[in-house]
Amino acid sequence: MKKVFGGLMLAGLLITGCSAQEDTKNNKASESSETIKIQEQEKEVKASSTELTPPEGLKLKADTEGIVPIAIEIPALNISTEIEKVGRLENGQMGVPKGMDTVGWFSDGAKPGSPGNAVMAGHVDSKSGPAVFYKLEELKNGDEVIVKDQDGKALTFEVTGKEKYNRETAPVEKIFDYAYGSKLNLITCTGTFNVEEGTHEERLVVYTELKADE
Amino acid sequence: MKMKKALLAVPLSVSLLIPTFTVANAHGHENHSKGPMSAEVSNPAIDLRASLDTLLSEHAFLAVVAMQKGIDGKEDFEAAAGQLNQNTEALSKAVGSVYGEEAGAQFKEIWSSHIGYFVDYVTATAENNEEGRKQALAELDKYRTTQADFLDKATEGRLKAADLEEGLKVHIDQLIWAFESYRTGEYDKAYDNISEAMHHMFMTGKGLSWAITDQFPDKFENKSVDTPAADLRADLNSVFSAHAALAALTMQKGIDGAKDFEAAAAELNENTDDITAAVESVYGAEGAAQFKEIWSSHIGYFVDYVTATAEKNEDGKKQAIAELDEYRMEQAKFLDTATEGRLKAADLEEGLKVHIDQLLAAFNSYTGKDYPAAYKNISEAYAHMFGVGQSLSGAIVDQFPDKFAGQKPSDMPKTGMGGMSQSTNDAILWSLFGLILASATTAMILRKKATNNS
Repeated sequence: MKKVFGGLMLAGLLITGCSAQEDTKNNKASESSETIKIQEQEKEVKASSTELTPPEGLKLKADTEGIVPIAIEIPALNISTEIEKVGRLENGQMGVPKGMDTVGWFSDGAKPGSPGNAVMAGHVDSKSGPAVFYKLEELKNGDEVIVKDQDGKALTFEVTGKEKYNRETAPVEKIFDYAYGSKLNLITCTGTFNVEEGTHEERLVVYTELKADE
Repeated sequence: MKMKKALLAVPLSVSLLIPTFTVANAHGHENHSKGPMSAEVSNPAIDLRASLDTLLSEHAFLAVVAMQKGIDGKEDFEAAAGQLNQNTEALSKAVGSVYGEEAGAQFKEIWSSHIGYFVDYVTATAENNEEGRKQALAELDKYRTTQADFLDKATEGRLKAADLEEGLKVHIDQLIWAFESYRTGEYDKAYDNISEAMHHMFMTGKGLSWAITDQFPDKFENKSVDTPAADLRADLNSVFSAHAALAALTMQKGIDGAKDFEAAAAELNENTDDITAAVESVYGAEGAAQFKEIWSSHIGYFVDYVTATAEKNEDGKKQAIAELDEYRMEQAKFLDTATEGRLKAADLEEGLKVHIDQLLAAFNSYTGKDYPAAYKNISEAYAHMFGVGQSLSGAIVDQFPDKFAGQKPSDMPKTGMGGMSQSTNDAILWSLFGLILASATTAMILRKKATNNS
């Protein structure tokens, strides 16, 4: 059985396509002579292939990896803070950050910079005072939101709109949906605080999109 | 664009236009969790995604092959280009089934144009015509805008022209670079780019299928293309289809004694590593090592077959086929055991036989100079792998449902505690305050009255 050597034999076939006779002992030696032959061939090809200039500025990979964000800055609101990962609570709600001054990123969803809607939430207030997204509503179209990963790679998003929704009828599916472009949606509470339910009656969503290459 | 009316043409027919792929199936096994949250690998939305992935990634593969064959002036160029056109035909039909015939025709015209510009580029290169090459690139730039505009309008802005132009640029640049690397003898780069170019199209397929299902949710049972299970299916589709594509091409290069044979074979081995990594993520390192050994063996037997063909050694060919038969059993047994019987060995053997026969047929047609048959076989071998991806992902998701449960929130977060907000309590307070004020006033008036009266 030569199962194990399948890959090696493949290499052996190279030059003529019909000389895969070497046993594995000779393989290393033959590989290096093959390498030399290949280099010769390459020189040959290059020499024969005219002076055509290869096109420049080719983009060979889409920048769609996205980043794992650890920090967020919103210059217009003087916000610069850390990001916590949050998930989905038992009751189906998006989780919230533990801190009043930090922002929670829904890490089971899209990464900022990858296709889809990345979602972050921050508190509007604590029991006694304002919290990180207290002034989120003041953001205007064109304002920038910058997120960074632990290597300092930064992505800049631009506000494209904002919307208030009743907490029970907000289009949750849309807010967390896939998208071809890269979006980042910021959520906080707004409206009257319903003491009985322990939550605000409305949610504010600020929509942003990744800015084209800076 | 008269898309609105035409869409009643039922987007569902997309799945009818594209052959459904059946290999071994995870069926016969109860689907435990039903409902919108169930981790399913197949529903109308996810199937649409897979169908578009098939056509789009095959386009990238055939385009690269046609460009190689074109610059080399190979006899099979016409057949490769012909298969590429059939792919365009199928893609346009799919678009037509969603957006209407007229839109389908319009799509076909635009899409075909970019293939034409690639041909122009290759021709200009062959003629050592720098101007012609520049001209072709300029045309491709213009094409990007036209194509992006078409899709933006068709999807009613779900796919934004700017994003599309970016994605199309990557597609075009990958093909140009794969070609440039090939013609200048940098074969490793050329083959890296082929894989990348095929893989890129899976993102396009996800985007387009997402837009379509978002646009016509009721035609797709309101299902989403964006689930962990759907992503697994797409990932497996991607690595398995690349295997078939690279295997077919490597066998051609082998029998031709082509200079890029080793690079093609190396890329095929890298693909084996990718598949192995996928297996490892599910079944662990030990299982993956075992898988890799078995999987690599069948590539080795294909090589034996090519070698025997080159040597006109009929016995050698028979021997290779016998080895491949043995491989089928072993591979089937492995997958049956790994999936705990969700994939049945008998079905798997059948599916693997199809795969092996398709690749052998593609190769034999090629050596027999029946090129149209060769490329038809390759296309079938390619599509077949999407059935493999579906079956295996179905079994895995059924076996490890927790890994693919990944749910999105159904409710908004509770991002406030009310300290700075007007609350329902405040409202009560205010009304109380009003009452107090009112009573105070009354009291004052009463008091005044009393004073006056005194």
